[in-house]
Amino acid sequence: MDFKTLLKTREFVLLDGAMGTMIQKSGAKYDHSPETLNITEPKLIQSFHKAYIEAGADVVYSNTFGANSYKLENSGYTVEEIVGAGVQNAKTAAQGTGALVALDIGPVGMLLEPAGSLSFDEAYEYFKEQVIAGKDADLIVFETMTDLYELKAAVLAAKENSDLPVIATMTFEKNGRTFTGVSPASAAVTLEGLGVEAVGVNCSLGPDELEPIVAEMTRCTDLPLIVKANAGLPDPNSNEYSIMPDKFASCLENLLPYGVKIMGGCCGTTPDYIAQIKSMLVGKSFISCPRTADTTVCSPSTAVEINGPRIIGERINPTGKKQFQKALADHNIDYILTQALQQVSGGAEILDVNVGHPEIDEKAMMTAAVKAIQSVCDAPLQIDSTKPDVLAQGLRCYNGKPIVNSVNGEEKSLSSVLPLVKKYGASVVGLTLDENGIPKTAEGRFEIAERIVSRAEALGIDRRDVYIDCLTLTVSAEQDACRQTLEALHRVKTELGCKTCLGVSNISFGLPNRELVNSTFLTMALEEGLDLPIMNPNVASMTGAVRAFRVLRGIDKNSAEFISAYNDAAPAPKTDSKAEVDIFSAVCSGLKNEGAAATKEMLKTTDPMTIVNEMLIPALDKVGDDFEKSKIFLPQLIQSANTAQECFEVIKAHLSKSGGENVSKGKIILATVKGDIHDIGKNIVKVLLDNYGYTVVDLGRDVDPQLIVDTAVKQDIKMIGLSALMTTTLKSMEETIQLVRATKELQNPDGSSKCVVFVGGAVLTKDYAMKIGADYYCRDAKESVDTAKKVLG
Amino acid sequence: MISLEKLNRSEALRYLGGAKTAPDEKMLALLDDCEEQIISRARPKYLYRELELPNDELVSGKDIARHLEGCTKAVIMCATLGTDIDKLIRVTQISDLARAVVLDSFASVAIEQVCDRAEQEISRLYPGYHMTFRFSPGYGDYPIQMQKYYINELDAQRKIGLSTNESYILVPAKSVTAVIGLSPEPIEPKKRGCAVCNMRATCQYRSRGEHCGF
Repeated sequence: MDFKTLLKTREFVLLDGAMGTMIQKSGAKYDHSPETLNITEPKLIQSFHKAYIEAGADVVYSNTFGANSYKLENSGYTVEEIVGAGVQNAKTAAQGTGALVALDIGPVGMLLEPAGSLSFDEAYEYFKEQVIAGKDADLIVFETMTDLYELKAAVLAAKENSDLPVIATMTFEKNGRTFTGVSPASAAVTLEGLGVEAVGVNCSLGPDELEPIVAEMTRCTDLPLIVKANAGLPDPNSNEYSIMPDKFASCLENLLPYGVKIMGGCCGTTPDYIAQIKSMLVGKSFISCPRTADTTVCSPSTAVEINGPRIIGERINPTGKKQFQKALADHNIDYILTQALQQVSGGAEILDVNVGHPEIDEKAMMTAAVKAIQSVCDAPLQIDSTKPDVLAQGLRCYNGKPIVNSVNGEEKSLSSVLPLVKKYGASVVGLTLDENGIPKTAEGRFEIAERIVSRAEALGIDRRDVYIDCLTLTVSAEQDACRQTLEALHRVKTELGCKTCLGVSNISFGLPNRELVNSTFLTMALEEGLDLPIMNPNVASMTGAVRAFRVLRGIDKNSAEFISAYNDAAPAPKTDSKAEVDIFSAVCSGLKNEGAAATKEMLKTTDPMTIVNEMLIPALDKVGDDFEKSKIFLPQLIQSANTAQECFEVIKAHLSKSGGENVSKGKIILATVKGDIHDIGKNIVKVLLDNYGYTVVDLGRDVDPQLIVDTAVKQDIKMIGLSALMTTTLKSMEETIQLVRATKELQNPDGSSKCVVFVGGAVLTKDYAMKIGADYYCRDAKESVDTAKKVLG
Repeated sequence: MISLEKLNRSEALRYLGGAKTAPDEKMLALLDDCEEQIISRARPKYLYRELELPNDELVSGKDIARHLEGCTKAVIMCATLGTDIDKLIRVTQISDLARAVVLDSFASVAIEQVCDRAEQEISRLYPGYHMTFRFSPGYGDYPIQMQKYYINELDAQRKIGLSTNESYILVPAKSVTAVIGLSPEPIEPKKRGCAVCNMRATCQYRSRGEHCGF
């Protein structure tokens, strides 16, 4: 019987107990890792599997938990050998018993980006190798996972390189989160989307502590649950576990009402535990537990259930925004991150991400943007592009369950976008337009919505995950358009039972007081059943309308969210505060708003370059000097630099208005080298360079040498700053410099280098910097500025 | 899980450039705020394990050998504040770098305090033994590559979510691995400080005529 049939026909599926505990108890000695016993002691490993099968296990896990090429390094064996032998041992033990063999795969052993530096694609390759090596198993299990991103790489590696069914379990702490902060809801939602057969928990806690975690999971999924808990906690002295087999089984019994179907034991459990579970289950039936949560999208830590209006922030989109377009062209990811954080603090719960711009590689930028935003922001994302290959890229590298924006009624769109939505387990926005454009009538739009839903369902996408957008048209051009949109929305909501979304602000185009029209339209749409307004959350009246609606509709229980949003709202900062201090002292004291105000004031009477040269630069020199002489602390230096930055922005805005000269003194690339993830020092250098008037192209941390060189070539940049904190990453600093020197486009006709490289970092010395071919060694941020002055003027 | 109540502020100020003036009011408010945030977001955890000496896997290089001279046992340990602190610092860097720098310093202080806590616990377990100070991979000639050995020996990834990347940098960043030697005989106070430190050439404290406390 195969695993899927087993799952369908049996009331419960019994897994085995711990392998590690059996090995430890046997006293078996191994050289490198317990997985090598598959080859050195096959009979012993087979005897453990047999003991579990005799105790009643329907499925045994192969002894291959850590058998990946990272962990097996220096073991003398390949993944193929260890995994092959491990699966074979389990199969030998299972022969003639009807028990199935699961290829057991644990975490790689290195943390993935953004916390660590293992890339998603690298993790995928590790798992792929294991999946292929274990092809003879009956199913694949990923267990003891703490990072949802790693687990996604694992599941994709399984799905793309094997036809075996997949189950997955994660490990949670007492606070209900994994080590990396994954919530049980996010795990359940994401994994169901990726098409696993069952989800659940293993290791870490005893079965007596799992109820809240199991309850949260089952609320958000229709899948059967897996529980493979530890036998309580180990005693630090005796290493004995605290929960005995009978107690273990009775704890599991308490979890059955949550839809638990697959059970076994993790650390500390033995065949006795499995036998006890088996006898506990006699005469019992599986308690099916369909989801009670509405459609949900998520990041690893935050699951957003669409059970009332939720704001999708629209600001990460370059359309019509010059500054944004420039940021994209300059690879200025910080600009995008600032937009993301501002929208979340404004009240957005989901963020739309669109980076389409003719001058850039949209696929690469989508990857960079999604990863960067997810590294700082917990809101789920909506991947927005007109190009299916960009959507595919965004979906692949996204951590959690996103929304795809969008599919429409055109055949080309339906057949290219919906399969991606299915494969990656996303939700999707369905636009009610097709080859013939946007139907004028509500009826026409409703028909397209129906078509999209039926095509989605044919692919196995649930209609709850299709969010229909009935399209907002400009009311000043056609006054009836508003009514048609709202009517279509109402019908989609009530007759199709789909969630709805709508870009709101188009409605007021061409009218005065657009904000008033927008917020009124928003309120009307909410009343007709709008779930997902796509809007600017930083417009207080719009976000306010949604929040108030949630109170008045009884969605926001006890008005709790409303009160917390407005109760202690600080009075709006005075935008045009009158200058009370001069620029010099504002910069020295790190007073941002005052500095900006003083600059505005002074620009009325003074030439911009005079302000820069006679006020800003001297003030910066003074604080730099004060810092060197230990008169101020580092954060004060940074606050001063930020204030100066604020003043520069005012001056830049003034100059671009009056069409004056560009104040940039030249472009400089900054990067923390490949393998290094410490970037705070580099960021301090950036702030200082910024405010001495240099344009910094910040490539971030853990940066590939090739990206640095490509950027220098493409943007014709003459100065590169590299940072490394560890002795181990100085090597990649050297490699980066070598690549810069070896690149023809960065050489003068006489073969000399066009690029000046300056380096810094805690473990660097001047001698070493010279030895690896740098032009300058900079001890601190101040010296970087001095060097830039020397090189670029 | 253990909790931290108070963080050593003068230590944090030293990481922040050690200005010789008292912090002004604005700076004090920032310090208060950041200290509280680190305390509330940290999820400190540690692990340790006894090893019998001599141990060829543990001892690599002459500095660690000298450090453990006369010891019959060693306790290897690791500690972390968890991934959330890294994220907090990362996010804050975007909106307020000055604040991020203060958070970073307090986090460095906090992880040392967690190690102190672990060390106290260890010392209670070995009455009658004398303990060396904590010695970590990267000190002197003790290779940073030893991080991986500590992580594996303590099963730290599985138990407290601590691992290294391919450059042997600990992830989460605010983490420590270290070894403490145990000797039945009194230990001659080892020469700590600049002489055995591999940062001596570039150390900013040393350049200011100060000392980092190692």
